[in-house]
Amino acid sequence: MTTPTATDREIAGLRCSEVLALLSSWVDGELTGAQRGAVEGHVRGCDVCERFGGRFAAMVQAIRALASDDDVAPASLEQLRQRLRAP
Amino acid sequence: MSGLAPSEDDLIAAARGGDAAAFEAIVRLHGPAMRRVARAITGDDALADDAWQDAFVAAHRALAGYRGQGSLRAWLLAIVRNAARKLLRERSGHDDEPEVFTLGLAAGWGEASPEDVAVASRDRAQLWAALDRLEPDDRELLVLRDLEGQSGDEVAAALGIALSAMKSRLHRARLRLLAALTHPGGPR
Repeated sequence: MTTPTATDREIAGLRCSEVLALLSSWVDGELTGAQRGAVEGHVRGCDVCERFGGRFAAMVQAIRALASDDDVAPASLEQLRQRLRAP
Repeated sequence: MSGLAPSEDDLIAAARGGDAAAFEAIVRLHGPAMRRVARAITGDDALADDAWQDAFVAAHRALAGYRGQGSLRAWLLAIVRNAARKLLRERSGHDDEPEVFTLGLAAGWGEASPEDVAVASRDRAQLWAALDRLEPDDRELLVLRDLEGQSGDEVAAALGIALSAMKSRLHRARLRLLAALTHPGGPR
C-alpha cells in the first residue's frame, strides 16, 4: 500500500483538490475556455495532477472503447423467439 | 420498403404489424447494448440474460404504444434498465456520499508509486472486473454515459434526476472505478 503524498498545491490559480473535482467536466469537454486553461495550466505544473488526470482520462477512454459490435447470442435469440411465440 | 436495408422506422412499423423478422432485426440492432446495460446493472450474467429477455418481451408487447418519442434505442434502454432493476429490487443500502477528495485518495491521487492503471484499463477483462466491483447504481451510470455514449441530458432523464446531480454522481462513480482498478484487491 502506498502513502498519499498530496499537498493540495495552488498552481495556475487552482488547488489540486479543485482540479480533482473538475476532472470529469474536463474529460467531457464541459469546462469554459477559462476553466480549461486553468486546469491545463495547473496540470502542466503539477506532477501529481498530471499523473492522476492522465490515468483518469485514459480510464474514461477505455470505458468508451468497451462498446463493441457484439452480436446477440444465438441461444438468447432462440429463447426469446420461443417466449414471443408463447400465448 | 426499398431494396436497401430498412430504416428503423420501417422496422418499427413492420414489427407493430406482427412481422417477427422485423422485430428480430430490432433485437439484433439494439440487443447487444441492452445486454451490456443489463449486465452492468445486475453485475451477473444469468440475471442479465433474464432481464434482457424480459425487456424484449415487454418491448414486444408495448411496441403498439410506442409513439416515437425519443429514440428507439433510448426507449429500449429504459425498458431493460427497469427489467434489470426489478430483478435487483431486494438489494438496497447505500453509504453516505463521501467527499470527492476522499474518493480521489482512494483512487490513488497523490500516491508516490501509483499502479500502472493506464495499462490495466486497456484490458477489457480487468475493466469489466473493476466495474463488477462497483455498486449497481455506479455501474449503470458509467455504462449509460460512457460505454453506451448517451448524452448527459438523456442519462439524467433516464435516471429521473437533475443534470447537475447526474454529473456529480458520474464523477464519483468514475473515481470509484479508478479506485477499483488501482487496488484490485481492495474493499468495495
